[in-house]
Amino acid sequence: MSDALDKRSLDSNSVGKIVNAAGSYGIALLLLALGALLQFTGVIHSFLSVQNMLNIVDTVALVGIVAVGMSFVTYSGHFADMSVPTTMGFTGYVCIELLRYGFIPAIIGALVVGLLIGLLNGFVVGKLRANPIIWTLAVNYVTMGVIRLIWVNKQIYPDMRGSGQEAVALFDNIYRFRFFNLIGLPVVILIILVIAGQFVMTKTTFGVKVKLTGSAFRAAKFSGINVERVIMAAFVLTAFTATISGLAVTSLSRVGAWYNGAGYDFKAVTAIVIGGMTLAGGRGSILGVLGGSLIIGILNNVMTLLGVGTFSQDMVRGAIFIAVVGVSAKSLRSLGRDDA
Amino acid sequence: MHRPGKKNLLALGDKFRIYILFVLVFAFMSLFAPRFFNVFNLTSLLKSISMNASVAIGFTIVMICGQLDLSIGTVITFAGVLVLGLQPSLGFTAAAVVAVIAGGLVGWLNGLLVTKGKINSFIVTLGTMTILQGAIYQFSGGNSISVSTPEAFVVSDFLGKSLIPLVTPRILISLILVAIMEFVLRRTRAGRNFYIVGGNRSTAWLAGIHTDRYTIVAFVLSSVGAAIGGVFSVLESTSATLKLGENSLMYVISATIIGGTAMSGGKGGVLRSVIAILTLEMLYTGIILFGLGNEVKIFIAGLILAYVVLYEAYATWKHEKSLGQRPELMKELAERAALAARPASAE
Repeated sequence: MSDALDKRSLDSNSVGKIVNAAGSYGIALLLLALGALLQFTGVIHSFLSVQNMLNIVDTVALVGIVAVGMSFVTYSGHFADMSVPTTMGFTGYVCIELLRYGFIPAIIGALVVGLLIGLLNGFVVGKLRANPIIWTLAVNYVTMGVIRLIWVNKQIYPDMRGSGQEAVALFDNIYRFRFFNLIGLPVVILIILVIAGQFVMTKTTFGVKVKLTGSAFRAAKFSGINVERVIMAAFVLTAFTATISGLAVTSLSRVGAWYNGAGYDFKAVTAIVIGGMTLAGGRGSILGVLGGSLIIGILNNVMTLLGVGTFSQDMVRGAIFIAVVGVSAKSLRSLGRDDA
Repeated sequence: MHRPGKKNLLALGDKFRIYILFVLVFAFMSLFAPRFFNVFNLTSLLKSISMNASVAIGFTIVMICGQLDLSIGTVITFAGVLVLGLQPSLGFTAAAVVAVIAGGLVGWLNGLLVTKGKINSFIVTLGTMTILQGAIYQFSGGNSISVSTPEAFVVSDFLGKSLIPLVTPRILISLILVAIMEFVLRRTRAGRNFYIVGGNRSTAWLAGIHTDRYTIVAFVLSSVGAAIGGVFSVLESTSATLKLGENSLMYVISATIIGGTAMSGGKGGVLRSVIAILTLEMLYTGIILFGLGNEVKIFIAGLILAYVVLYEAYATWKHEKSLGQRPELMKELAERAALAARPASAE
């Protein structure tokens, strides 16, 4: 009897999750329809072309990869990792600098640097309970300082450090390689990460621990969960995905520059929030976050085709971010599910 | 063993930590840094802090209220761009007033979203930061704005010329603002209420304080302070670059925490933050004077912020760990256990 009840409550939960996740996909579909409508009425052109759809998917991949990792930080109730932009920039620099020793060592070097930043964040926020936003912001400034100190404001190019042709070609292909000449490598990475992330978040003990840490920190701590390690893992995951995305962005622009990751922190948080994950922690899903990334990607694309400038897009994104956070907090409160 | 004398001295040292630090850094730089101790350098030192000083006033009050305002950097640039952009059509005074009011509106919006929308303050201000960033580029077209009309130079000369040695009108404005806010926070009931709101929100509410109203006012003060800083800085330099407020957030957060304002709220002071800003600026000027370059300066500034946040987190962690611990009791228990164990081991 109790088993059946448990099962039913679990079922209704997963149905709720699907509805929540479908919510963001519904909006994404609406945006697609809007784009199509605008094209049929002749306001914008080439929205429905294969090339444009590929463009959307490619940009979604870059944001989505970061968002998947960062959603673990948000899920654990630690809002966001503001050190993502310079983590992306720094790992790009490191990779290009190490290309002369071959492609694989360069990738490993970049990953190691990224993971070290993640470990540092995780230690200070998890163990010492520093304010996650302020601390990661500070790490962002420090990493920026390190970049400026080492490379003195210079940008570096993959082919100028005496690296082998082969390594450079491989590096260029991180972003440019396409399966069946269609689906880019970042997109495939994103899909793998989403599946893995969704699995980890819902089907493993670790995922449940993150959820409990996010929804009731003290309860999690006193029930014997090693919250410090959970939080550390969340930040390391963020740094890992930020590194991957940073390598893809660096490969795309073919230049190591400190501004390579600029804005990705905010884009990722917005994707997470639109995807139905609450900033209070413990609610949401990776599938929803993917939907949120799609919404951002399509919205950006439509706005660009409409001739809206990059800076106005920033304003729109910021306004949507605040609106979504406000509405979701309000609706949770009125449902009595959140006392925040 | 109580040694009250030593303890009091330590407590006193902790209380006046920032002033001691200030004197030490000042003495060190005066003795060792080349070309540090002269009227010209000290005046330019004061000039360069007068923007961040007025920003720090409001930021400290927000932090005393237990909130955080990440949008100050963009408010500075926004106000600066606005005043030079509007000046041809409105004239200097009206443009400056409009820019400060616009800054105040941003703060009001932040405060409303935090109190009525019940959203975390750094999430709200992260959003307004992005919106303002877009607005700045939109308004300026992505370029810095500069004016070179005669009136602009008159205003600039007036703000930058020394009244008495070390004090230019712009520095004086910042000093007056600091003095007023320090007085309000220390001596008036409204000022003390900010501390109560930050220290314990529900107690403040039960004591009949409009906690929401105080929080909103704190955010408005923060943005107005940032806007005033931006406006006067731009008026003196007659040009507004889009990087005007870029590093202010980093400087002001570190200075406020070094000054002893707690991130959890309810503790701190305006004057201490401003002294901390002065101390940091002396340090950065020293780095430049020692010939270490701008890169080192930015690196060290970031490192200081990280260290300060780390130290504060560590202190809180240690404090919370010691809560409810009773070392005497533990010692007694250990002794008792040792006594109980002795006959057992003898057998």
